[in-house]
This record gives sequence, C-alpha cells and structure tokens, in this order.
Amino acid sequence: MAVRMIDRNGHRWGAAISALGLYLGVIFDARWVAPLFCVVLGIGVAFGLRYSPLGAAYRIAKRTFKLQIPVVPEEEPPPRFAQLMGFVFLLAATIGFYGAGGPAVGWSLTMIVAALQTLLATTGICVGCEVYLIGKRFAARGAA
Amino acid sequence: MIARLVAVAVVLAACAAFAVWWRRREGRMVEADGFFDRRDLGIGVREQPCATVVEFFGEGCAPCVTVEQRLEHIAANVCDLRVIRLDAGERLDLADRYNVRRVPTLFVTDPDLRIRWRASGVPTEEAIVGALLGPEWAGRPNPSLTDAERRTN
Repeated sequence: MAVRMIDRNGHRWGAAISALGLYLGVIFDARWVAPLFCVVLGIGVAFGLRYSPLGAAYRIAKRTFKLQIPVVPEEEPPPRFAQLMGFVFLLAATIGFYGAGGPAVGWSLTMIVAALQTLLATTGICVGCEVYLIGKRFAARGAA
Repeated sequence: MIARLVAVAVVLAACAAFAVWWRRREGRMVEADGFFDRRDLGIGVREQPCATVVEFFGEGCAPCVTVEQRLEHIAANVCDLRVIRLDAGERLDLADRYNVRRVPTLFVTDPDLRIRWRASGVPTEEAIVGALLGPEWAGRPNPSLTDAERRTN
C-alpha cells in the first residue's frame, strides 16, 4: 500500500501555531489550552494529518494571504507519530491539571510539547519523527 | 505573570541553544576510518570507480530524500562516481557493522573503498563535493568536476 504523503511545510506551520497557543496558555495561566491542543493533535492522529485542524488552518492562511510557500512532500507516518507523542504528553498534562499530579506536572508537560513544537517550527528538527525511525529500526531488529 | 514569562523565555533560549548545537552537528562531514567490504556493496573486484558514496537511508525518512537528490546532482557532475543506497531497516547487519545510528548516514570512500568521511543528517552539496575532492585525494585518480565540464563542452 502506498504511503500517504503530507506537506512538510504544513507540518511545521502547524507546529508553530500550537507552540504559540501553548506559550500563550502558559503566560496567561489558561489551563484549558492543554486539553484543547490535546484534542487538536488527537484528530490528526486518529483520522490522518490531512484532517488535522492545524493543517487546515495552515491551508486556509496560505490561500487567504496568497503565501508563496512551496509544497514539500513528506511521508505521513513519522509526523503522525510525532503528533501522537504530543497528544500523549498533553493528555498527561490535562490529567495533571484536572486530576492527579497537580499544575506543576501539567505545566511541565505542556512546556515540553511547546519546546518540541518550537524546534520543529523554527529548525525543522522533528524529535518525534526521529523517535519513530529509531523505533522502526529496533522493531525490525527484533523481528530479524 | 513575570515568572511565567521568564519560564517561556528560558524554554525558548534552551530551544535556540539546542538548535544551534544540532545545526553544527547535523550533516557535518567528519573524517572516518575503516573499509567497506566489496561484497557488502555488491561491487566486483575489477570495478574501481574513482570514489564511492554510500548512503544508509530509512523508509519514511524525508531528509534521506533530500540527500538522494543532492547525490544525484553530484553524480551527474562528478566523473565516475558510484552512489550506493542501502536501506538501514532492511540491512540491519550492515548498519551495525558500519556503526550507523541514524538515517541518513553518508560515507565517502576512496577507490579502494577505504572510508574517508562520514556524515549523519543532511550535508550540503558543497560539503559532499569537498569530501570527494579534498586534499587526501592527492596522487589518486580524482573524480573531477572539470572532467565532467570538459565532457559537456
């Protein structure tokens, strides 16, 4: 089966949007940003990144402002796994805020996601993608 | 509020520092040692291209595609250069043997398949060509950009 492709620039701009949202949440003590972006990332993980609200926001902004940003094709599985990592961290942060753990745990996990999204947005370093590729190699080694 | 702003600033500064460190390390050609076994690369005993570039790539690895495009461009210009691409996921034995920890990883060898340079990540085209044409090639049949230019002119 052919691997689904996504636009790498859309992935990076989506990361910029979520990093900005998470930082604003930290600054203004808006704890609801953690569950909000948890759901946003979860939609992309569950249905594919083409349905991600972040990707849709990027496409709308690109079309509205006629931004001349080229499409850079990239295979979907590594970025989707990276979003899964973000989803898990933000889910844990949400549990920290509203259940067990406390706000310190919630903000720490939120800041980790914001930092990783910042790296992706500004430099293209996708830590989750690297983890995915390392994991695939370990899986293949285990099967061999 | 101030404490939160400071926390965000600290995180951003840490991100910037990490990005600078990563950029310096990413794709840098470093001198290396060792030999490739001809059988590992599927090269016959009589075949002796001027230089061989070996790339370990991975499925779903976007930077590997960038490296592939750069190598294709270099191979079109550099005379008698052999490019060999190995799937690190399928050839785990070779990935282990040549100490490949991540993809893409690139090796530049001399005509005897002695490893001279290696890089993890995406090296610039200039860095790869620099490794191919570096001073360590003195006295050897260099892959030469000028040869390619002569052929096309």
